[in-house]
Amino acid sequence: MSGAKDRMRHKKMRNQPSNVTYSQWRDSTGRSSDSPQQHMRGPLQHPSGWKRGHQDGGVRHEQALPKYITASLFARARAAEVNAMLRAVSKTTGSSHVFGALPKHMRRRAMSHNTKRLPCRLREMAQRMLEKSQQAGKKEKKEQSKTKSRRARRRHGSLLLEFNRRQRKNKWLETHIWHAKRFHMLKKWGYCLGERPTYKCYRASYRAMNSGCLLQDLSYYCCMELHGPEEQLLNALSRLTNKDAGPTFAAASCVSGQKEGRVMLYKADQYPHQPLGPVRFLWRPCSTTSPHRQLWIWVHPSLKQDLLPELQAVCQCFEAVGPAGVEVVPSENLVEASLISPVLSEFSPEPQCTRRKRKLEADNENDCPVRKIVGNGTRSLTTPVSWSSCNTEIVISDLTMEIVRYRLIGPLSHSVLTEILVPATDCESNTKMTSSPFWWPEECKKEESMSLHRQQTDVFQLLRGVYSMAELPPGCVLGLTVDDPRLSLSAKRGKVTPDLHRTQGGVEEQRRNLALRGVSSVCAQSALWEKSVRENVTNNKISEQDLNRMKRELLVPGSRLLTPAQSRVPILLVNQAGKQLGEERLGWGSGWDLLLPKGWGMAFWVPLVYCGVRVGGLQMSLKHSQYKRMPHFPHDYPDCPAGVRFQEQQEIELLEKFKRRPPSKRTNYIKYGCATPFRCPWQQLVEEWEKGVKQHEDNQDTKTIKIKDMTSLSGAGPNPASAFIVLRSRKVLRQLSVWCRPSSYTRKALGGSCALPLCPDVIISLQAEWKRCVLWVRLSALGKGQPALHAMLCVPTTEDLLRLREDPQWCGPNEPQHTDHLKHQLKRRGKRGEAALCCSALKEEEDCNIPETDDASSASKMEKKRVLFHINQHSDPSVVLRDPLPKPSASVTADPSHSCVESLSFTGCSNSTLVQGLWTKLLPNMSSHCSRMTLGWVVQGDFSLATGTGEALGFVSLVGLLQTLLGQSPDQRGIVLLRNPTSLQYRFARLHIEA
Amino acid sequence: MAEPRSQVSTSMSQKSMGFSASDGPATEMDPVEYTLRKRLPRKLPKRRNDVYINMKTDFKAQLARCQKLLDGSAGHKEICIHGLGLAINRAINIALQLQAFSQGAIQLAANTSTVELIDDLEPEDPDEAGEPLTRTRNNSAIHIKVFYPNA
Repeated sequence: MSGAKDRMRHKKMRNQPSNVTYSQWRDSTGRSSDSPQQHMRGPLQHPSGWKRGHQDGGVRHEQALPKYITASLFARARAAEVNAMLRAVSKTTGSSHVFGALPKHMRRRAMSHNTKRLPCRLREMAQRMLEKSQQAGKKEKKEQSKTKSRRARRRHGSLLLEFNRRQRKNKWLETHIWHAKRFHMLKKWGYCLGERPTYKCYRASYRAMNSGCLLQDLSYYCCMELHGPEEQLLNALSRLTNKDAGPTFAAASCVSGQKEGRVMLYKADQYPHQPLGPVRFLWRPCSTTSPHRQLWIWVHPSLKQDLLPELQAVCQCFEAVGPAGVEVVPSENLVEASLISPVLSEFSPEPQCTRRKRKLEADNENDCPVRKIVGNGTRSLTTPVSWSSCNTEIVISDLTMEIVRYRLIGPLSHSVLTEILVPATDCESNTKMTSSPFWWPEECKKEESMSLHRQQTDVFQLLRGVYSMAELPPGCVLGLTVDDPRLSLSAKRGKVTPDLHRTQGGVEEQRRNLALRGVSSVCAQSALWEKSVRENVTNNKISEQDLNRMKRELLVPGSRLLTPAQSRVPILLVNQAGKQLGEERLGWGSGWDLLLPKGWGMAFWVPLVYCGVRVGGLQMSLKHSQYKRMPHFPHDYPDCPAGVRFQEQQEIELLEKFKRRPPSKRTNYIKYGCATPFRCPWQQLVEEWEKGVKQHEDNQDTKTIKIKDMTSLSGAGPNPASAFIVLRSRKVLRQLSVWCRPSSYTRKALGGSCALPLCPDVIISLQAEWKRCVLWVRLSALGKGQPALHAMLCVPTTEDLLRLREDPQWCGPNEPQHTDHLKHQLKRRGKRGEAALCCSALKEEEDCNIPETDDASSASKMEKKRVLFHINQHSDPSVVLRDPLPKPSASVTADPSHSCVESLSFTGCSNSTLVQGLWTKLLPNMSSHCSRMTLGWVVQGDFSLATGTGEALGFVSLVGLLQTLLGQSPDQRGIVLLRNPTSLQYRFARLHIEA
Repeated sequence: MAEPRSQVSTSMSQKSMGFSASDGPATEMDPVEYTLRKRLPRKLPKRRNDVYINMKTDFKAQLARCQKLLDGSAGHKEICIHGLGLAINRAINIALQLQAFSQGAIQLAANTSTVELIDDLEPEDPDEAGEPLTRTRNNSAIHIKVFYPNA
């Protein structure tokens, strides 16, 4: 019986009494042990319950009739059955409306509302039912409102509890509530983050980056602190990096603490394999007091889980040191402490549960109510945050959520900072005598720290006169102590404009010095590095309530408040260099990062916003790096574990989105020749290109093509050694970047300098050195076209290039439409009633695995033939032979056994999940799937507001690129074709490598 | 500043040698390679009637922009055209074109100046080199005042 029938029957029989079986019967008679039920029920019933129609076994039942029956037993059995029947009859099933009893022709519309539509005899009962149902509804509502009045819900304590419940899974940043009112929020990486504002501001945000100031909250980045002797740290960390990929932790200007550095990390001693991801790092300038150095590594939260074990391994730090700030708290307070989080600083003048406050007041307030701000997105309360080592003196501590990081992008970020930050004023002389619980009065007593503060203030004053970032060395760091910005917060808000009139003659010389030498490493020192100071500042923040009270008591409204002793905050300003690679728009997107102690987020955020900056979310950080032509983590790091996870996630999301459309409205990606619209199979692409080239070489050498392990091509999982990598060697990239330029350009730019010529020998050596590489490229459309996500990057044929030379306005060749060979398969399945698999039942389709019956397998043999035919048609050598590089492609595709194997394996698994318009798990040959060879895919593509054309960023296979460049004439080097997944039109684009 | 400059001259030729530079004889001469990064020139506040000429924008577009400033609804009595380095030529060209179009109604007054530019030299092997180097160089600039003389 099929499943549907079974279910129907089950539904029907739901309220029927179960079969009445008596064990006593069998026991007492003992004779008919084989089928007691038969005896009981008599001749008309069958042993296996319900069956319709004539049955073969009917005769046998006649024979099995008992010769006599015991009257008492028989009556008892009948009595039980009658009882069961009565019970079933009296029990109401389903919706027990009164009018259910009426025959259909007597039912009327809206009978349940208007009892007068019922016949008289039923009216009374219906009325009762109606009242009952009305009451039930009322009761529910009343109960709900009794538990929570709005006033009760909005009471501070319960609000806090509610907030804490809501951020149990995904933690909130300090600016969360501000963001949640204005942004589309996303739950990502264990945080709630703003993706983009709810109002329209895409272009405005770009303009802000371009000519104004854009603000972002980057506090979700995790900070790791490494503490130890400099040599040990450098030795340990040098295993994670390589000079070939750029400056490392040991870069001279970074070690002094003068600059913040960026570095790409790899697993220990594995370069160039197994990359982890990019990090920013900042050394604390050498201090005279301690021989140890401090290093902050800023990590993206999705990278942290990979990096932390690796850091522990290289530093040999395995001994967990008790989480200092957390374990001190006694266990009772722990719960309450965990409830209080920095997020609430916007809302709560004194972030404490009311209940606790009351309790404290009752307890005579002896112990000052200490605010403990603990808990963050990436670890629980009890996990250790600090690890030390027995061999070395290195201590790793996790400072996640300890430091707030804001990013200001754009030329006005300077002026905005100088507008809101006021260097800390000195303490009054009388307080200098007495000791103070706050850090700044203590600091004021030390002469050297005051002189340092004066130096820093001088530098900061100089910054006022600086109009553009370009005047500062990129990446420079300035430590500073500032007053609480809330003290001088003016009521009116507006845009800041740079003020250049303050600059005088004497300052000019100083500024020139600043531009040349940068901020000295002494000035990069800040008290923010000290844990004790951070805690002191966080715990002694004046509450919003107190501040408002002070403002109210002010004689002249709106004037600046007198600075209380505790409102000085140590901060760090880190310059972010803009676009540094390439030729165009250098220095674009530069700005400042503002590092604050935790708890002070909102205190600085609101004044910043009042200065007229625009606030951006995750979308804008992506766009920022896109306009800087930089890869964005984790989107554009497909070789890192975090990038792989991101891609999987993205594929699932895109597929979900695709499946939400009705089947008839979906794009048929097979017809567009797009095998993987939702992800990029880099590994397969790289292997195919390599194989193609190898075959090509073999062809030349021995004239034999023998590739045995064709089957392993797409099936074998990549082991770490052979996994593809992204090429990050600066030398090679620079070389490639020269090669990619057309000849006319090269001569102009380099003044005819002796570049290494592009010749096959060089390429072969390069290929041997860098196996399985993809590299980051930028593409700018030559004419029309807006590249989309996962657009294909293809090699133009010689005919294409010739035609382009004749007609520069030509928009590009067309891909012949592919045939959807899977469609027939789907249709056939649908016809045969194999249910569930066909595209209409999509939801079930995901998790159902139809076991292959005999019929299906015989059918799939038929399919195989058809599929074979189609695949051969696709990868027809005659199509590909128009290529400028026919050798690799032809050698791959001309091998019939290859496509055979592929298609066979393809049909083998095609039974699992089929979605119309999508390829199955086993993919065709990636590089030669379409009429133009595929080089790579676009990872970020959009219309560029900066250049006014379509621009894309993506990866290409190194081998493929080299072959392409070799085949192109010098004046057309670097021209490739771009094709969106939902289009058959190829468009020309120029490929740049920026190094 | 003399020392870095000499290093640059060698490095520029080496930079393009690329990845095979290790086996070339040039490496023995100067082990430290530098990458030259030019910083942007200093920006000064811009009035509405200031036009900075560059070499990337189309010549015609820049000319049209100046023309519009002079006789559009903005109706500026005078505009300033600035050009730096290679763009001096183009700035002069634009100013002369404006004068020609106006049939002698417009007068020009040119000033020249020198702008100090900063270059960063990033060592290729940052661990070994000491300080990151910066150097200054000078470039010429022209500022042309295009105005209607008071009748």
